[in-house]
Amino acid sequence: MTVRMKIMLVWLSLLMICGSAIAEPFVQGGAIGSQTDDGFNALGPVVEQPIEFPHNTHAGQMGINCMYCHTYARRSAVSGIPRLDKCMGCHKLIESVKDKPRIKKLFEYWEKKQAIPWKKVHDLPDFVRFNHERHIQRFYFREDRPVREVCGYCHGDVASMTTARRVKALSMGWCVSCHQKDHLENVSTTKTSNGPNDCWQCHK
Amino acid sequence: MSLSNLIKNWSTLRVKRPYEDQYKDKDYKWAMVIDLDTCTGCNACTTACYAENNLPVVGKEFFGKGQAMHWIRIERYWGENEEMEGKFPDRGAQFLPMLCQQCEAAPCEVVCPVGATHHTPDGLNSQVYNRCVGSRYCSANCPYKVRYFNWWQYPERAWPNPLEQQLNPDVTVRSKGVMEKCTFCVQRLTEAKNRARTEGRRVADGEVTTACAQACPTSAITFGNLADDKSEVARIWARQKVDLAKDKQDKEEDLRGYRIFEDLRTYPSIVYMERVRNFEA
Repeated sequence: MTVRMKIMLVWLSLLMICGSAIAEPFVQGGAIGSQTDDGFNALGPVVEQPIEFPHNTHAGQMGINCMYCHTYARRSAVSGIPRLDKCMGCHKLIESVKDKPRIKKLFEYWEKKQAIPWKKVHDLPDFVRFNHERHIQRFYFREDRPVREVCGYCHGDVASMTTARRVKALSMGWCVSCHQKDHLENVSTTKTSNGPNDCWQCHK
Repeated sequence: MSLSNLIKNWSTLRVKRPYEDQYKDKDYKWAMVIDLDTCTGCNACTTACYAENNLPVVGKEFFGKGQAMHWIRIERYWGENEEMEGKFPDRGAQFLPMLCQQCEAAPCEVVCPVGATHHTPDGLNSQVYNRCVGSRYCSANCPYKVRYFNWWQYPERAWPNPLEQQLNPDVTVRSKGVMEKCTFCVQRLTEAKNRARTEGRRVADGEVTTACAQACPTSAITFGNLADDKSEVARIWARQKVDLAKDKQDKEEDLRGYRIFEDLRTYPSIVYMERVRNFEA
């Protein structure tokens, strides 16, 4: 190795060190290299919620439909976080769990007349429009697939988690990978169709 | 576009666009009619567009440099035979709202080096800000000069806190270095289309309209779906004998529909209504 090459190597390594210090690596959430269930990068971060809401009890054990609480999913672009009175509507009447710490917290918020400051888990960039209604209408109502499966395409099996964590990439390549699949139009035909392949359907 | 998609749609990709009856079996082809005889040049459409599409007000200095971001602008022309007394004669001005013509064979689309501008299935000329690298080639190639470039980071200046609250959440706030243009209020179209799809029908005529058409006090702007024969727009196009796939329209005394720079074969989606007086041109 000549002296000149050595000098170049030193410069290069210096450049790389500086470069890595300045430019933040683009990570969609989670640790670098951590993979979502379907093999895409990267797993969402763990989001600490004000109350550790047990999805596994509600949707898993009790088998409550996701849309009982996330009620706007079938008729609007956003699925909605349930209001506090939705929780209270049931929990006022469920005596058996009233002294559990999480329910106590719930009642505290209720008495303070404060909304629970839930944190967003599945956050899409501002330049993307995603419509829950179309997906739910197509796969849940028209094709009559189970709700856990339909919501699970994008949200993973939330019914087995306590607080939700993003386990799908929610990146463009990931969306497109499903939009390009041949989906059956309904249960009784073999006719297939794809999701829209048009930039402006999702980009705004 | 995947390979399977490419093979599946090969027949439609290989033909010259636009072709006759291109949108006959399609659900949507958005188009517009602007009646220049009722346009008073009041600029309400421009104002509405600023509010709807998060357009920054750039200020006098940048406006003077030609960096204004108005997606729809009112062009003013003085009649040829008017007597010009002083710099601005009292009457005789002609107004022409100029916005993206959503050409079927758009000159801007073919020159984009990164594929940021596309033709959508419903006949719009789309611009994806995330892909745009700011080469400005599209703007140079646009005969109508309706593409606007973000020379500066306008948002902070145009909407200082708390004015950012007035922004339309359905439209991206563009940042420095990207090209933008009229979208025919695609956020409204998408919403209407989604609603109609859920209800298993086609978007009805008059159900959705652009901000400019909505704001026009004299209803000079008509917006609608050309693929639907019964829509107002389609009827006006038919009445004026304007055909999307033609590059030369019939010129008769009692017809007044024309498209701008038709002979460039851009096949615009906007028809202007005014009797063409100079048949030689």
